[in-house]
Amino acid sequence: MSRKWQIGFVFIIMYLSLNHLMYPKLIYGLTEAGHWEVVVCQGLLQITLIGIYIKGLSYFPQQDVIDIYSKMGKLVAFILLIPFALSLTALIGLDIRIHTEAINLFFLKRTPYWSVLVLLFFITTYTAMNGLSTILRSSTFIFFMILPLLLFIICSSFMNFDWHNVRPLWHPSLDFLLNKNFFHLMGYSAFLPLGFMTYKTKLTFGFIFLEWVFVMIIFLSFTYIPLLIFGEESVVTLSFPMMEAMNSVDIKWVMFNQQTIFLGLSLIGFTIIKNSVLLWIIGRIMQKVLKWKRAKASYWITASSVIAFILALIVPSRSWTETFFLWCSGVLVYFMMIIPISILIYGYVLNRGRVHYEES
Amino acid sequence: MKKVNKTVIFSMLLLIVLSGCWDNKDIDKRVLPLVIGIAKGDNHDYEVTVQIPITKSSGLMSRIVTSKAQTVSRALGEIQTNSENAVDYSQVRLVVIQRNLASNPKELKQLIKFLMTSKEIPLNAQLAFTNESTVKLLSNINNKLGVDATSLFDYFNKGVGWAPGISNTRIWEAYRSLYSYTDDLTIPVVDSGKDTVLIYKGAAALKKGRLTQTVNLDENQLINLFKNHNADGKIENVDFASVMVKRSTIRNQALIEGNTPTVTTDLKLKIDILEVHSGITNDQIKHKLEKLIEKRFYHVFNQSKKNETDLFGFGQYYRGQIPYADLKNWRTTYYPNLKVNFHAQVSSE
Repeated sequence: MSRKWQIGFVFIIMYLSLNHLMYPKLIYGLTEAGHWEVVVCQGLLQITLIGIYIKGLSYFPQQDVIDIYSKMGKLVAFILLIPFALSLTALIGLDIRIHTEAINLFFLKRTPYWSVLVLLFFITTYTAMNGLSTILRSSTFIFFMILPLLLFIICSSFMNFDWHNVRPLWHPSLDFLLNKNFFHLMGYSAFLPLGFMTYKTKLTFGFIFLEWVFVMIIFLSFTYIPLLIFGEESVVTLSFPMMEAMNSVDIKWVMFNQQTIFLGLSLIGFTIIKNSVLLWIIGRIMQKVLKWKRAKASYWITASSVIAFILALIVPSRSWTETFFLWCSGVLVYFMMIIPISILIYGYVLNRGRVHYEES
Repeated sequence: MKKVNKTVIFSMLLLIVLSGCWDNKDIDKRVLPLVIGIAKGDNHDYEVTVQIPITKSSGLMSRIVTSKAQTVSRALGEIQTNSENAVDYSQVRLVVIQRNLASNPKELKQLIKFLMTSKEIPLNAQLAFTNESTVKLLSNINNKLGVDATSLFDYFNKGVGWAPGISNTRIWEAYRSLYSYTDDLTIPVVDSGKDTVLIYKGAAALKKGRLTQTVNLDENQLINLFKNHNADGKIENVDFASVMVKRSTIRNQALIEGNTPTVTTDLKLKIDILEVHSGITNDQIKHKLEKLIEKRFYHVFNQSKKNETDLFGFGQYYRGQIPYADLKNWRTTYYPNLKVNFHAQVSSE
């Protein structure tokens, strides 16, 4: 499997991992009708940013985001990337905590959450320390293992659908575009890691667009499965709509009796890959920006993993986890806007300068 | 060499964590109740009755355990505490609610919400009401079936063609109907029988947690038809003949003008004539059956219209046609004006 495809799989996995649990609920919070409009608008906003990002990166072949910012100046790199790494650390802690709670809720009902946390952090950190190639290779494996399960649960939920619930299909006004939460929703996107992974591979926009279409289809199905099963009025009252939708499916063959186990399995696989990519990015940023001679990337990874673990451990309750997670992803929206745009502008200015110089 | 060591150490550590052995209870140390009965006791207590199968050296047995507490979860917890094995509610298949609790809308609502959010009881367990005491009902099940209480589950899921009129409602469906603007449902009512385990007493219509009317087996069959179950295998008795429904299809067309919605429904039945008195033609049977079904439909429909309970889920057809903000008034402003042109068309094979 070529590296390009592996990066594509990581892209999909990271997107799905972030959107498993909270995404449908946020969409339901934004609109009462025509949910697909929100999903599509959100997707268009993201693909625009991805386009800008890839265009910007293409000015700097063989370089990742850290190299580009270091080129702009050490101070710029420090001011932009260190807070980014810190917010990623918080995101990892809260994300693992939120997934742990879902796992506890649906299959380890009597296990204390700290023990699940230890396991998840342990595997994640180990994967991250082994470097990017390991992560990419294992992502291929996990992708092909979990995709059939995902397709299966999507198909099996058909039996509880009431197609009338899809209506009303149209939301007449686009006022959700001005809602703060609409931009907040962007925190649930995962295109930034592309810029850190692609220093050896050149990505084309067409390729990422293909992946994006796939992600959009899965998003739409995640939004519409609970909606078609429960209907708009009751779906807004559920805490993890997708989980409850899966729980409602009743297949009498023994092993399919509890569909959530499949969803839970994919959840664990995806979470591990996603968070190890993030940890790896943190390690790389810290090592390259701070340039402390004796600190290897793996030390930074371990350190931030421990910080994230402590954070995950001290959050008192589920409602707090969700609130903190929302804040944290809100902070990331800022980076999702600023990093692609600044790279494009810098690349453009730099390139134009060179062209002018060569011409004269 | 160094690399190998790292992997070995890692996998050894994983072995410890992955076994998760400190709180795991093996399946032979657990008991899995299949039926739970919930009733309202005196002093505002809940009375929860559970049928627990127990393993003995001589074979399998089951017994009835009752617990009273202020909340259902507390009562379930007490049963877990007092039982000698770990009681695992994750395989519960049927929840029976006594009438004295079901007829109190506030408490019924609260109970359904609890069942939905409870982490232990599965969302796809069946719901049923009973007029008797749940202890009596469960004891009757225990006496007649013993451990074999799975057959109760089969009672509600007889499969295509055996009892198409039984209503079949799960916890998540009941929860959905608590909030829905446009759809109501029926929950089966069962009592303990003399010879059979259960007797079907019809179904109770549930409107936002309130019981409004009861429908009998034949009427419930029609409701099931509208909710896309088929009527295959249903046996109908016309005065001078009895027939079996072979195939059924239903088509609905919904229109709205101002505040008057109109639904045109075409029900097509293919029948097989089983018994017939001499001198009766097929056309007479068909005609009679059409009249019978139409009469039955209008009887339930008019009654449910009076109760503002949308049993057939007609409101669902209007989800796209009435503005969403207005939809919550479906039952009060639109539904009483609803006109249904119901046509049954019977053909024999």
